[in-house]
Amino acid sequence: MNRTPEQISLHEWDRLHDDLVAAGLPQPSYGGPLSRHVPDGDLRLPRLRYDNSPAALRLWNFLLTEEDRLAAARTEGKQLVGTMKDLGTVPVMAYSSPSLVAFYPDGAWWIPCVMELSAGLLEVADSLGIDESFCPVRAMLGAFLTEAHFPIPDLLTCNVGATCDDFSAIAQRLNGLGYPILWWESPHRRAPDPGEASVELPGGFVAPEAQVAFVHDELERVRRALAHIAGRTITDAMLAEGITTANKVRSTLDELRRLAYAAEPCPMPALEMLIAEMLAIHFCSDRDECLAVLDELLAEVRSRVDAGLGALAGGAVRVFWVNPVADLRVMNMLEQAGGRICGTEYLFCHALDPIPEDLPPMEALARMALADPMTGPTADRADRICRDIGLFGSEAVVVSQIPGASHCATEGAVIRDTVGARLGIPVTEIEVPPVADAMAPTIRNRLDALLETARARRETLSATHEPVRTTT
Amino acid sequence: MTVLYSCPFVPAEWIAAHGLRPSRVTVRPAHATAPGLGVGVCPYANAFLQEVSVPGNGAAVVFTTTCDQMRRISERMDPGQPVFVMHVPTTWQTTAAQRLYRDELLRLGRFLEGLGGRPPSPERLADTMIAFDEARAKLRDARGALSPRQFSEAIAHFHHTGQVSLPANATPASSPGVPLALAGGPMMSHHFDLFDLIEQHGGAIVLDATTTGERSLPPPFDRRALRDDPIGELAGAYFGHIPDAFRRPNSRLYTWLRDAVAERGIRGIILRHYLWCDTWHAEVQRMREWDLVPVLALHAEQDESLGIRTTARLQAFLEMLL
Repeated sequence: MNRTPEQISLHEWDRLHDDLVAAGLPQPSYGGPLSRHVPDGDLRLPRLRYDNSPAALRLWNFLLTEEDRLAAARTEGKQLVGTMKDLGTVPVMAYSSPSLVAFYPDGAWWIPCVMELSAGLLEVADSLGIDESFCPVRAMLGAFLTEAHFPIPDLLTCNVGATCDDFSAIAQRLNGLGYPILWWESPHRRAPDPGEASVELPGGFVAPEAQVAFVHDELERVRRALAHIAGRTITDAMLAEGITTANKVRSTLDELRRLAYAAEPCPMPALEMLIAEMLAIHFCSDRDECLAVLDELLAEVRSRVDAGLGALAGGAVRVFWVNPVADLRVMNMLEQAGGRICGTEYLFCHALDPIPEDLPPMEALARMALADPMTGPTADRADRICRDIGLFGSEAVVVSQIPGASHCATEGAVIRDTVGARLGIPVTEIEVPPVADAMAPTIRNRLDALLETARARRETLSATHEPVRTTT
Repeated sequence: MTVLYSCPFVPAEWIAAHGLRPSRVTVRPAHATAPGLGVGVCPYANAFLQEVSVPGNGAAVVFTTTCDQMRRISERMDPGQPVFVMHVPTTWQTTAAQRLYRDELLRLGRFLEGLGGRPPSPERLADTMIAFDEARAKLRDARGALSPRQFSEAIAHFHHTGQVSLPANATPASSPGVPLALAGGPMMSHHFDLFDLIEQHGGAIVLDATTTGERSLPPPFDRRALRDDPIGELAGAYFGHIPDAFRRPNSRLYTWLRDAVAERGIRGIILRHYLWCDTWHAEVQRMREWDLVPVLALHAEQDESLGIRTTARLQAFLEMLL
């Protein structure tokens, strides 16, 4: 079937799904019409706009069926590992053992959005004294207590230290309720002192060797705990293989991002790209299938780029997006306002960078963990954002604040000042709650103003024949 | 040179032994948000930033990682002012965490040397530690002879100046009120009025478990260990013994509180937390569920004047306990 790439509604997807199936579309075991998830409570789905490719359908179905995969893994006798806060390190270790399946309980922060607050998770968090002054990840508490969204894992790990206080406090609350947690620490990443031995981390940050050695030892504790529940040692060779496979996911995603964020017109919408990036954190509980899903998405994007086709109209303002949104609909909103995503920093850029394969595996993982943007100064993050803006040619930046998050009170100004001073492109900050409908006019106004400013700048530069300044 | 800080895990004697003046700041309220800080900034972090970043004050500032906002706010300091960010490990049950804390102390020492400080000999460090230890012992001994407010202010004054200055007009509580603990993060200068309000309504703070108070005093040093390995003893006393909500797990805070409640006959806990302070805020409900004694939560605002709401809540709490 020949289809013009475009964004369609859930209702339109159902009709298209039927047509595709009738035309012989092969479907994975978790396939089916997207609207079947709505009776399960995913009430946000009818309000979103979707890419109309079968690859996107598979991506969405993969995302929305994770709970089933976890339940199946437990039935098969696999041990489940809940990896909290590290965003990409411990899952690589866990998947190195065939007996383990890792997932990301923090991902529950999207449940209030996807279920439009109907699951009552935030109310559970409220009842535990974790109110709206905390980041929406507090929904995770409700998910643990109701046991309605993921199975209780056999091992819970949590990265603390130089992370965020919201998550640390919420995890401590969980621990206080009787859930054992293996805490492991990341130090505040700092610049090496003069003469101090240092190493370059994935992504380009530099850290003292001593800090990497500390994280290495912390991860060794995690490795022992994983081996304990797996019932067998996790050797360096197993980890090396796990890293190689994780890198396949990352390199696929890297090519996907380069194509989707650089090509004109935009070949893949923001929402699908956001989900694709998220898969790199923990493979959505099935590493091999995750790779297959991303491969199909990449093939779709390649074919669109080769054909010069886009899912959005050409000429959209190229926007770099900082931090994940609590309400997925806001990504649609940007596109409806005439923008498109050209570069992202969703707080897990370290989960996208290739893990070094020429190092002992634990050393490589330690370097990756220390490259987490959360552990270092915001100035480091701002540097990387400037670098990636240069890579993708972004014309404007949105810093999407997470309500209540401890890092959001200060980082916006640092990023705005750095980007403004180095690149001169407009920056705006918005705050996105889990269901942003009531805030939609305000958010839309701010996005409109940003895009108008970027368009005016584009016209000015075009009139003076100046190239758009996007390099640092 | 003066070295300003607010975290109890920065040992004053380490700075003093380098020949510099330590000052754990008693922060005054700030009446506006500092430039570059957005919605959600902790009132204390905002006030601390404004307190220490006075152009030309010639002071260095030490931030730590016990609070995410304080760690991040260090980036808003004037680039011309010397700033040091010390990682205080959140975990504490491993030797690696204990070693990291000690290594961070040594790194702080190198920073102090860069400011003109002299690396202390073991003897000099030990002597300085003994001097501070004796000062803290003097403070602890004064507890029963001072009113709760005077005692807590004397501790804060000691942190701020390094001097024990006990009021000449010591006024221990005339009639014993309901014994209470005051827990939470650091106090600002105007927050000490809370002691008076509590006393007016029939209570008495017999345990200042705030970050400014007794909870943050390290235990007495082991004098023999102090001579053998002063830096090890210093690290052990601070990192190994100060209970705090930010630690993971933070079970020691509860053990310490439980012991203190039993020892001092405490009948209620007042837990103060700043808006946006996740670390202490998250403990409110847990402390209630702990069910040791009744718990009253109070918001501590930047511009807090002990308003009608606070007064009414305190009054109701104390009526329940009387």
